[in-house]
Amino acid sequence: MSGILHYLVPLPVVLPLLSAGVQFAFRGRVALVQRSISIATLSAVLLTGLVLMVGTDTYGPQAVHVGGWTAPIGIALVADRLSALMVTVSSAITLAVMVYSIGQGMADKNEAAPVAVYHPTYLILTAGISDAFLAGDLFNMYVGFEILLTASYVLLTLGGTQARIRAGATYVVVSLLSSLIFLITVGLAYAATGTVNLAQMSVRLAGVPDELRPVLQVMLLTAFAIKAAMFPLSAWLPDSYPIAPAPITAVFAGLLTKVGVYAIIRTQTLLFPGDTVNDLLMWAALATMLMGILGAIAQTDIKRLLSFTLVSHIGYMVFGIALGSVHGMAGAVFYVAHHITVQTTLFLVTGLIERRGGSTSLPDLGGLAKLSPVLGILFFLPAMNLAGIPPLSGFLGKLGLMQAGVQQGTPLAYLLVAGSVLTSLLTLYAIAKTWNYAFWRAPAAGAVAAPGTVLETSEDTAPTSAFGPISQAVGPSSRVRSSANRSATFGGNPIVTSETLPPSMLAATIALVAMGVAFTVLAGPLIEYSAQTAAEIMAQTPYIDSVFPGGVA
Amino acid sequence: MTTADGAWRAGADGDGQGDGAAPEGWEAPRERWLSTVVRPAFGPRSVLLEIVARLLIPAILTFSVFLLLSGHDRPGGGFVGGLVASMAYVLRYVAGGRHELAAGLPMRPNGLLALGLLVACGTAGAPLLFGRPILETFSFSTVLPVFGTVKFASFLLFDIGVFLIVVGLVLSVVAALGARMEAEEEEARVRRPRREGGR
Repeated sequence: MSGILHYLVPLPVVLPLLSAGVQFAFRGRVALVQRSISIATLSAVLLTGLVLMVGTDTYGPQAVHVGGWTAPIGIALVADRLSALMVTVSSAITLAVMVYSIGQGMADKNEAAPVAVYHPTYLILTAGISDAFLAGDLFNMYVGFEILLTASYVLLTLGGTQARIRAGATYVVVSLLSSLIFLITVGLAYAATGTVNLAQMSVRLAGVPDELRPVLQVMLLTAFAIKAAMFPLSAWLPDSYPIAPAPITAVFAGLLTKVGVYAIIRTQTLLFPGDTVNDLLMWAALATMLMGILGAIAQTDIKRLLSFTLVSHIGYMVFGIALGSVHGMAGAVFYVAHHITVQTTLFLVTGLIERRGGSTSLPDLGGLAKLSPVLGILFFLPAMNLAGIPPLSGFLGKLGLMQAGVQQGTPLAYLLVAGSVLTSLLTLYAIAKTWNYAFWRAPAAGAVAAPGTVLETSEDTAPTSAFGPISQAVGPSSRVRSSANRSATFGGNPIVTSETLPPSMLAATIALVAMGVAFTVLAGPLIEYSAQTAAEIMAQTPYIDSVFPGGVA
Repeated sequence: MTTADGAWRAGADGDGQGDGAAPEGWEAPRERWLSTVVRPAFGPRSVLLEIVARLLIPAILTFSVFLLLSGHDRPGGGFVGGLVASMAYVLRYVAGGRHELAAGLPMRPNGLLALGLLVACGTAGAPLLFGRPILETFSFSTVLPVFGTVKFASFLLFDIGVFLIVVGLVLSVVAALGARMEAEEEEARVRRPRREGGR
């Protein structure tokens, strides 16, 4: 059994790349083939992730030395409980979003244009995410980040409208900056320790001068904090993610920031144990939570509102990491898994709202609970889950973090606990506002688009932005326009509102809502798994021993 | 890279009606240095550029293959080789325009990407089927009549995949950024005189 794990570890990276090659070869001519390949590949990756989760839980971390070259010389791929969990959750999300986007492509009767580039790029994105999770090597982690970023540039600007290119430019510049800092740090760390292998670096960093270690640590943190959208470095996110088509926004919002969080967890626990920057992280977590949620309250567009709650809830995970205790880390790990699912679900539901109600802008919506009760339930469950209403998994995750904070008992930890309670309440407020506007109130005359209305993502109409002059603001707000001169939707075809939602989009969303609920039902085993994960990564030795069975040279 | 030579003549029977928009009194080169369909991407035709392209492209392509082969244990490799090879195509594009580029391409950029990804991932994953770690290299040495002792490594296949990916990617970028813009411009140029009642 443990033998077969070695063959499985590289699969989440290699399989999507291979399938992307096959899809390029088909050149998008046979849409059915493309779709089948994508779904089969992502299902296989999900299955691999599940087996890896069980396997690492039973046999401990598994290291694979690529090319048969052992670690300090060759590149190691390491799957421990944390990586396996992340691979599993991320592949479940990517699979659901793929089904959803296929549904959207079919509903928009546009099968050629997006499919040709979309499928292979999406698979390459998946490969990059898996590579970042499985990398046992700082440079390989950088490569994983680059793969997923390059794919994300293409996906974000799909359709090539002015608004998307503008938002994409911001995103590319910010990502490049973060990558540059990351790469410089890899170079510095190599100069200081003579290795890029995480396990070996972990041992050797102990011998690095005390003045140098915090420099490397803070530089890495900065690079990852940009990717994870921690407060002072989060301004780019609400301006770029919501502009993409709904499924792309969903997968970016749910997953890409969490890759940053994963990288923070991995490097903080493995490379820089101790509490050098924990206070700094605590303050950053507090600021992220509060600034994010205050931003969310000010929004009138659901997509932007959700982007701000995304930033805000990154604060919870950083809080867990900053506590530096096994309990805090366990809470952070559980929260990451929960939040990936919930945030993605909410963005997918928003896509459905746009399809039914003709807009994502709150003033333009109303009465959806009566028009489409299914949509109401699909929004309500993950929204309450996000706000942390008992007994849902969001509540359990926040409770775990707060318990860990109280256990810490320092004034700063208590402040953070108070901050997370406040953020939770404000999230509930923002969600309730959305619910009231979009679902409960009677719609104003002509506010909700009649079925069959052709939508256009606004480029020149005023977006509902909280920042700056309207002409400069980048907002994703869709408005009903009579003249659909240039469409900006998924495949270049405009979204047409409809009374019945496309079945596969609905099914994918329902599956994700169910997955969110499953986190609640299976909370016992999952929290147990998170606790073991936290203990394993905090102990460091299981990871290092798996890469260097004979001790580190 | 024998393909460049083959497509050289294949591309010669194009529509052949364009020589860019040369300024008044500008004498366009009469000799064919590239295939006949020469419409430079930027500005009028330049005989210097065409001759240099004609002379350099085979050398650049040969050098890129050298880099590819020597990459096993010396500087070089698929990535560098691919970049150098794609420079040859970019040179051809700059000198002769998008028709010239298309005439010199063995297959569409997407096809190159596909082939490269398949070859690279195939050789990366193949050892798994034999119960060996991923990306493991199999190599053997043999004595060839002219070259002496030559070492063949399966890693070369992987590198060829990388080479193709890089060439495919650079050409997609050229196609997306340069050639498409050029095509739009040309479309506009063709449309304008028509509206005024022909040239």
